[in-house]
Amino acid sequence: MSMTKKLGAGFGLALSVTMMSGAAYAQDCTTKIGAVLPTSVDWGRPIAETAQFAVDQVNAAGGAAGCQIEMVLRDTQVDPKVGVDAAKALVDLEGVNVLLGAVSSGVSMPILTSVTVPGGVMQMSCCSSSTAFTTLAEEGKTNGLWFRTFATTGVQSAVGAKVAQDKGYKTIAVLYKNDDWGQDMARQIAADFAAVGVEVTTSVAINDGQPSYRAEVTEALSTQPEALYLALYPAEGTAAVREWISLGGTQNMIMANALKSDEFRDNVGLQYLGNALGTDTASPRADSADAFRAAYVERFESEPNGPGLANSYDATMIALLAMEAAGKDASGAEIAAAVARVTDPDGTAVSADTAGFTSAKEILAGGGTVMFQGATGNVRFDGNGDVSAPAVVWSFSESGIEEVEFLSLDDVDAFIASLQ
Amino acid sequence: MIQNLIDGVLTGSYISLGAIGLTLVMHILRFANFSHAELLSLGAYAALVCDALVSALVPVFAVKLAPLSLTGALIVAIFVSMVFTGLSALVIDRLVFKRVREKGQELSMVFASFGMALIIRNVIGLVFGLSPELYSKDIAFAMILSRDPLILVKPDQIFVLVAALVLMFLLHLILSRTTFGYSLRAVAENPSLAQVNGVNLQRTIMAVWLIGGGLAAVAGIFYGLSHQLIPVMGRDLVLPIFAATIVGGIGSVYGAVLGGFIVGIAGNLALVVLPSGYTPSVPFLLIIVVLILRPHGLFGEARA
Repeated sequence: MSMTKKLGAGFGLALSVTMMSGAAYAQDCTTKIGAVLPTSVDWGRPIAETAQFAVDQVNAAGGAAGCQIEMVLRDTQVDPKVGVDAAKALVDLEGVNVLLGAVSSGVSMPILTSVTVPGGVMQMSCCSSSTAFTTLAEEGKTNGLWFRTFATTGVQSAVGAKVAQDKGYKTIAVLYKNDDWGQDMARQIAADFAAVGVEVTTSVAINDGQPSYRAEVTEALSTQPEALYLALYPAEGTAAVREWISLGGTQNMIMANALKSDEFRDNVGLQYLGNALGTDTASPRADSADAFRAAYVERFESEPNGPGLANSYDATMIALLAMEAAGKDASGAEIAAAVARVTDPDGTAVSADTAGFTSAKEILAGGGTVMFQGATGNVRFDGNGDVSAPAVVWSFSESGIEEVEFLSLDDVDAFIASLQ
Repeated sequence: MIQNLIDGVLTGSYISLGAIGLTLVMHILRFANFSHAELLSLGAYAALVCDALVSALVPVFAVKLAPLSLTGALIVAIFVSMVFTGLSALVIDRLVFKRVREKGQELSMVFASFGMALIIRNVIGLVFGLSPELYSKDIAFAMILSRDPLILVKPDQIFVLVAALVLMFLLHLILSRTTFGYSLRAVAENPSLAQVNGVNLQRTIMAVWLIGGGLAAVAGIFYGLSHQLIPVMGRDLVLPIFAATIVGGIGSVYGAVLGGFIVGIAGNLALVVLPSGYTPSVPFLLIIVVLILRPHGLFGEARA
C-alpha cells in the first residue's frame, strides 16, 4: 500500500521535472568545460582554484546556458607535451567546447594549434603574454577561437613610446636583450616609436654573458641619439648603462619593467638616473577590482597576490558569460563569437559575482549586450583576442621606486588606438 | 672605426694578461686548464675585499687618484691579490691537479679543471652573491681625444694598458735574461732532460702557478676596473682567453700577448661587420681561421 503511494509520488515528481525541463532554468543537465593549468606547481594551484571559484558563483546563479557547469581540471606540469595530451583528452573524451588555459605561452601555443583550433573549441588563457599569439591571430590561424585576459608586452612598448612623445625626444637608440622577450620588445618599440614620430637611430642587441659591452655601446653612441631605450635585465643592463654614461651618452633613458630593480639603481647610481623613466603594466584601480579582492579574501582568507589570479577569474567568467550568451548546445565557434556580446563597451554593466551573472542572464535573454566589469577592470578584447591593461610610468628615487604616472585602461587603449 | 680599434687594444690588454698565464700552464703542465679564467674572478674578488679593508684601516688610501677611479687602497690590493691568487693556484694544484696528474691522463686533467672552475665560480657566488659588484660606484667619465671622428678614452683604461705593458716587459726580462727563465723554458721543452741537467721540476711548476695566478689576478682586477665584478665573469672571459692563447700559439708568451690584442680588436671591430646578435661568435671564428692557416698558432711550434 505504502509502496504504491511512494511510486505514485515518485511518478508525480518525475512528471513535474519533465514538464519543467522545457523552462529556461532547468537544472537537470550538466555542461562540462575544460581547464588545463599547471596545478602541480605552487603558483598554479591558486589559479585553478580561482577559476573554480568563478564556476561556483555561476552555478549559484543557476549555471550557464540552462545547465550547471562542471569544470574538468587537468594538470599541464608546465610541459607542452603533457598540456597537449590533457587538452586532447578534455576535447575528445569529455567533449568540452570551452577550454581554459594554459598559463605559459609555450604550453598554450601547441594546445591552440594542435587541439583547440582543429577541434573548433574556444580557448581562453589567463596568463600567456607572448606576442606570437597576436601574430598567429593576425594571420587568421586562430579562427577567432583564442582569447586571453593577460596583457601582451605590447602595452608596455606603447607606454614607452608615450613617454618618449611626452618628453619630446626626437631620436632614440634601442639596446635590447638578445632573447625572445628582448627581440619582441625591440620589434614592437621600433614600430611604436615610428608611430609617434620618434626616430630610432639604431637598435643594438646585447648578448648575455659577454665580457664587455663597449663595442655595442659605442655603436649606439655613434648615432648620437637624444635618448636611450633599454629592454635589458639588471645584470647586463648595469654594465651597458655604466659604459654608456661613462662615454658621455645621454642620461635621458626609458626602461622596460625588467630594470625595475634596486640592484640596477644602486650599481648605476641614482645621480645618473634622474632622467630615467620606466614603464610597467599595472593592476586596475577600479571598483570591480576591489570587489574581486574582497570576494577573494572572503572565500580563500588570503589576498589574491599570486600571479594571474584576477586574470584567471575573468577568463572563467567571460567564458561562462559567452556560453550563456550563445545559448544551449552552442559550438565552440558560436561561444567564441558571443564573447563580443558580453564584453561590449556599450553594453549594460554587470558586476563580477553571482548577482552580476544573474542580471547578465536576463539582459542576454532579452537580446541585449553586457559589459563585464571584472577583476582586471572592464575587459575588452581586440580582434586578435588580446586585452589591454593599465600601465604605470615609474622612476628611481632614494627610497626605491616611485610612481610617476598611472595610465588607466582607457588611457592605454586610447593611446594604443592612436598608434595604429 | 678608430674608436673600435682603440677599444680593442684596451680590451686586449687584460685578455693578454690572462692568456700569458694560461699559455705557460698549458705548455709546461700540458693540459687545457679551463679553470684559469676563474683565477681572474678570484683575484678580482680578493682585491675587492682587500680594497675595502685597506680603505677602512688607512682612510688616506681611500682617496681617488684623479683622473683615475683608482685609489691607493686598490693599488695595495692589486699586489696583495697577486700573491693571494698565485698561492691559491698553488694550493689548487696541490689539492687537485697534482693528484690527477700523477694518476690520470691528459683528459682527466681537462675534466678536473672544468670541475675546479665550477667550484670556484659557485663559491664566489655563495660568498659575494650573484649581483654585480664594483670597486667604485662612481662612473669615471671618458676623455674626449677627438671630436671628429668622435674618439673617447677612459683614463682608467690607459692606466690598465700601461700597467699591462709594464708587467709584460718585466716578464719578458725574467724569461729571457735570468737562469730561472732558461730553466722554465727547458722544462717546457723536455721535462726529463731538464731534470737531468739539474733543474728542479717541482719548483719550476710552482713558479709557473705563481706567475700564472699573479697575472690572472691583475687581469681580473683590470677587468673589474673597466667593467664590473660578477661571479660568472670567469665563464664570460674563458673563451676570449683561450682564443688568445690558441691564436698566439700554445707556449708562446709573446704569442699570448699578440693573441690577446687580436681577440680584443676583433671583438670590437666585429660590430662593424656583423649584426650585433652575432658578435659572440667572433672568438670561435678566429680560432677556426688560425687553426686552418697555422695549426700551431702564430708563434707556436709543433712538438712531439
